Amino acid sequence: MSKGAILIARNNGRLDYVKQAVFLAKRITHYLDIPVSVITDSEDYLKNSFDYTVFDQIISIPWTEVKNNRIFFDGSLAHKTAPFKNDIRDQVYDLSPYDETLLLDTDYIISNDLFKSCFELTNNLMMFKESYDVAKSRNEKEFKYISDYSVDFYWATVVFFRKSPEVQTFFNLVKHVKDEWNHYRRVYQIGSSLFRNDFAFSIAAHIMNGFDKGSFVGTLPGKHYYTIDKDILWQMKDDSMLFLVEKKDYLGEYLPILTKGQSVHVMNKFSLERVINEEENE
Amino acid sequence: MSKGIVVLAQNTWEDDYVTQASLLAMSVAVTNPDIPVSIVTNDEVPKSYEKYFDQIIPIPFDDDASEESWKVSNRWKLYYATPYDETVVMDSDMLVLQDISSWWDFLKDYELFFTSNVYTYRNELVNSDYYRKVFTANNLPNLYAGFHYFKKCKFAQEFYTWLELVMNNWELFYGLYAKEEYPGRVSVDVSAAIVSKILDCNETITNNKVKFPSFTHMKSKIQCWEEPKPSWQDCVGTYINKDCEVKIGNHKQSGIFHYTENTFVTDEILERYRNKLNV
Repeated sequence: MSKGAILIARNNGRLDYVKQAVFLAKRITHYLDIPVSVITDSEDYLKNSFDYTVFDQIISIPWTEVKNNRIFFDGSLAHKTAPFKNDIRDQVYDLSPYDETLLLDTDYIISNDLFKSCFELTNNLMMFKESYDVAKSRNEKEFKYISDYSVDFYWATVVFFRKSPEVQTFFNLVKHVKDEWNHYRRVYQIGSSLFRNDFAFSIAAHIMNGFDKGSFVGTLPGKHYYTIDKDILWQMKDDSMLFLVEKKDYLGEYLPILTKGQSVHVMNKFSLERVINEEENE
Repeated sequence: MSKGIVVLAQNTWEDDYVTQASLLAMSVAVTNPDIPVSIVTNDEVPKSYEKYFDQIIPIPFDDDASEESWKVSNRWKLYYATPYDETVVMDSDMLVLQDISSWWDFLKDYELFFTSNVYTYRNELVNSDYYRKVFTANNLPNLYAGFHYFKKCKFAQEFYTWLELVMNNWELFYGLYAKEEYPGRVSVDVSAAIVSKILDCNETITNNKVKFPSFTHMKSKIQCWEEPKPSWQDCVGTYINKDCEVKIGNHKQSGIFHYTENTFVTDEILERYRNKLNV
């Protein structure tokens, strides 16, 4: 069985996902020792600007405009609005060249080898459901359910899947939810019209579980730690990351928190890029 | 050994508990056709509902709740009213949504059993004591009489004799055992918990390690919602298909569903069950 990681890199004029993907690919190679492929609409940019040999395969997709705009914060006081190009995650099942695939967001910073064991486990589909805010002091219920009255929240940030008929059905269902988003967001009591893969994957998981809790989606090894985009990644050295996390009820003030040996979902992509730039300049 | 479900139903001037009990009996007929249901009531059971009941039993020893709007004072009499050797007592505002025959197999090892864990509509264990402060504050066992089981036996009779005593003298007993967060009115759950404490029998009458027998408890403030409304029906919808499968919001329900709000019983739901039962 072939195995590898897949990253998606589609730049939106504000954020350089290609740069993030190159950076993460190196870390995946270092910590997980598996080949990494990238799905991108910017192959020329990748080949001309970076060491693209970090990738096993470059899977090129056409450049498209999307109307799914969202606000990206850079700490608690600054933000920019940009297109949210998140509409091909459901196609990864077909696009992946591997029998066993670890699909990661480019802002999920791998800092240990825990995901190696994904390939040893028997679950054909694994995601994170539980999650832990590095700041600890904020309301984590936002990521417990997709809305107050609705179903369990699954993170589409990291998805392990083994090609199999039931996983293919799952991805087809995610696509259907995406295609009929305005219907599903109302049925699942989601206030915002913004399409999010986390929501689509959560709804598909709920349906595959027979509209109940269930075990169709297994749990990834380790714990899913995250920082929100109102926090700032300040420094990174090997497996250590220094964050400035937003102080609760004190706008614009931060607390320093250091992580070591812990993979973290860094939602402030602007600060991630600054750190990557610093690393490249060293 | 005979076995069956018994439900006490007493209409008030505003709520029709006999219809609720009839809906419960219909739900049992759909999912557990071999389990008889008897109703204990002094109210008239409409002819069209009579067929769902094994027996219609008058409340024994007169109606102690005739002057009450919260009619629970007769609950202790169910031990004497039941026609069965093994009885499951249920609240009238419940639906049975699955085959519960394996629950009887589990219960036969007990002389008396109370549910002590209940679940939200999302199938999560209820941890909130929002409606049960009196239990927490007085260290009372967390028993739910809404679903309980007994065998006709010496121990169950003793328990029910004490339950009669506590319910008929609740002001005295609550003052002794439920001083903190004093309930202010008689409650079967609190009374059963006090009897359990008096007889020191909690370990033998419940089991909080098992997921079933239990029920989904729909009181609004225990659903893990950040913004609950007074009525859970204003937060999530109810959907019932022609096979009488129930979804609350997007969650398919199973086991026993305790809807708690009288407005849940609509003509549409009654019609669904009538159609399913071909009547």
